[in-house]
Formats: sequence, C-alpha cells, structure tokens
Amino acid sequence: MEQSKNEVLEIIAKSLEVDKERITVESTVDSLEEWDSLGHLSILVSLDKKFQGRLAGIKEMASVTSVNSILKILKNNNLI
Amino acid sequence: MYICIKGIEYYLPATKETNVSLKDDNPDWRINDIEKKTGITSRRISSKLQTATDMAESACRKLINNGLNIKDVDFIILVTQSPDYVLPTSACILQDRIGAGSCIAFDINLGCSGFVYGLAVSSSLISSGLARQGILVCSDTYTKYIDKHDRTCRPLFSDAAAATHISVASKDSIGSFELGSDGSGFDQLIVQSSGSRVNSNKNQSSKLYMSGADVFMFTMDMVPKVVNSVLLKSNKTIEDIDLFVFHQASKLVIDSIVRHLELPKEKVFVNLKNIGNTVSATIPIALSDAVRGDKINTGDLIMLVGFGVGYSWGGCLIRWT
Repeated sequence: MEQSKNEVLEIIAKSLEVDKERITVESTVDSLEEWDSLGHLSILVSLDKKFQGRLAGIKEMASVTSVNSILKILKNNNLI
Repeated sequence: MYICIKGIEYYLPATKETNVSLKDDNPDWRINDIEKKTGITSRRISSKLQTATDMAESACRKLINNGLNIKDVDFIILVTQSPDYVLPTSACILQDRIGAGSCIAFDINLGCSGFVYGLAVSSSLISSGLARQGILVCSDTYTKYIDKHDRTCRPLFSDAAAATHISVASKDSIGSFELGSDGSGFDQLIVQSSGSRVNSNKNQSSKLYMSGADVFMFTMDMVPKVVNSVLLKSNKTIEDIDLFVFHQASKLVIDSIVRHLELPKEKVFVNLKNIGNTVSATIPIALSDAVRGDKINTGDLIMLVGFGVGYSWGGCLIRWT
C-alpha cells in the first residue's frame, strides 16, 4: 500500500510538473498553484493511464481537491 | 429507404486567433502547456455581428455552388446552440436566406453530439418517406459565450459551420446508430443565464462554464461504451473499421479515447490543430478534410462518435460511397 501511495504521489508531481518533494498527503489545490483546472485534468489522465482505464466511471475523482481525497477514492475502489 | 452523404462543405470565419493572442490577454498562462494538452494552436472567431445562421448560410452556399439545386431540398436541419433568436427557429430564417422552397425546417439544440443526432433524424425523415434529400447544418458561435480569461474554454472553442447534403440512397450506407443522454451532467457545460431558467439563490453567469474534469470523466466512461455498442449492433469489430472520426474535443481527450480502446493511431483522424473545437461541426469538418486528404476511400467503413454537452452522445457507422 505504501509503495502504491508513493507511486500516486509521484504521478501527481509529474502531472503538475513539480518536484516530488512538494507533493505530500496534505497537499491540496490551495497549497499548490500548479494544481489548476489543467493540472487537475493532467492528474486524471495520468491516473487513468496508470490504472489502465479503471478510473473512468469514478465520477467523484473529477471534483477532488486534495491528495488525501485522491488516495481515499483509489483505496475505496480497490485500485491501491 | 437508405441515406448517403452526397457532399460536405464548411465555412470558417476570417479571424484566426493564435495562442499568442491568448498570452497577450493572459500573461500568466503557460501557453506551451495549454498547446501540448489541447493540441490546438489557432481558432476561428466569428465577427461581432456574425451569427451561426450567417455562417450556416455561407456553408450552404458552397453546397449550392457545387451543384446542389436548393429548390429540390426537402429539409433543412440546423444544429445550433447559438440561435439568432430564442424564437423564431433559425432554420426557418436560413430556409428563406438560401432560397429553399417551403421545406421542412427546424433546429436541433445539441452540441458535440449534434451531427450524429442530425444524421439519425435525417435518416428517419427519408426512410419515412417525408423527404428525399436535405441539408444538415451544424453551426455555432460558442466564442461569443466565452470569457477571455477562461483558461478552460478559451483555448478550445472555435466558430464554424458545416453543411452536409444528405440524400436517399439505393444501398444502406449510414446506420447502427447509438444515441443517448445523461442529464445529470447538465450543469458541467452550461451557459446558466441563457434561457428561461432563473435561479433566485445564485448569480447566473452569461458566460460558458465547463468543468473540464467532469466532462473528461464522462467522456472516458461513455465513449468506449458507445463505440462497443455500435460495433455490437453492426456485428463488426475494431479491425473492420477503416477510420474513426471522434468529436474533436481536444488532443488530451482523443488520445485518452485511443488509449482506452487500444485503437491504432493511424485509424483515428485528428484535425483540430488549426481549427479548434467547433462543437457539432467538428465531425463533418473532419470528414470533409479526411476526404480531401485522401484518408477516406470509396467503400471505407467509418465510425463517427460525438459526445459532450447535455450530457449527450451519438455514434454511427458510415460506408463511404
């Protein structure tokens, strides 16, 4: 689980084009100026690629505003 | 009775807006990033007084100049979400302006799924015997709804009109329609203050709002299902399809669809770089460009899929004749 969580944090960092040290479980849209609407779309695309299309249908991912929420949703959908 | 497409012509407004203009209005935008994700480097912008009906007339006149006898047209369907007026119907205005006889004329208020819906309706008119041929026009001026500082919408949307001449045919060349809707997503792509609905609790914007993330999730969920449904209805496989023409929403969306369905890239037509997202006109414009670019040959089996605002979606197959 820890490895999966770290992979997700790395994916988010890469999507937002920031150093991975800047992404923590506490990161939110308010704490990262790069996490705007385009950044959010990049995160969704990258996670969709990572989980081989299984993100489609998880509507609540569209409106997440924190890394913690992303991890919770992925766990609830048995993706991590 | 069967239908076929006999010709497609389109009109683009003269004003071309490049991404440099976006930067001028919005110095903090990362244009390279926007361009990389959208795949769009320029869009067409209708002039201040130019409406969707004006553009529709221009596209229809190209069909007429190519030999269409306008007096023989039995129907005009105008797919638009930018009508000249709430009433009367813009298709009636268009009927008069292009000199058509007193034919069937009506608007369809749909966006990105509108061309496929329009094909289905055209097919119904012809197969019922109400018509033998007509024009399906897709035309919109979405840019008039967009705030110049809207980073979600402004890099994407563009104005255009496409007119498609549809006629009765001796062989079945358009079919296996899969149409649908999900109105729970109505507010994810919306101009709130554009009709009769008044919400006393909130400020209603007269500008286009799109939740890119929500629309993306809807697209990734529905489009693969639509493709598979059309294939099932027609007893075909992906290998049987010679070309996929998706609504040209953005590069990011089309790439994700290709990835989900594991489509060979050479089978997916993309032309949004210098045109942008022209709403319901993207598919007929893409078809026209594909034919002119020799990407489509007689006998090719083409799948069209439109999806978006509503939410609404439509897919079908065309055997190119």
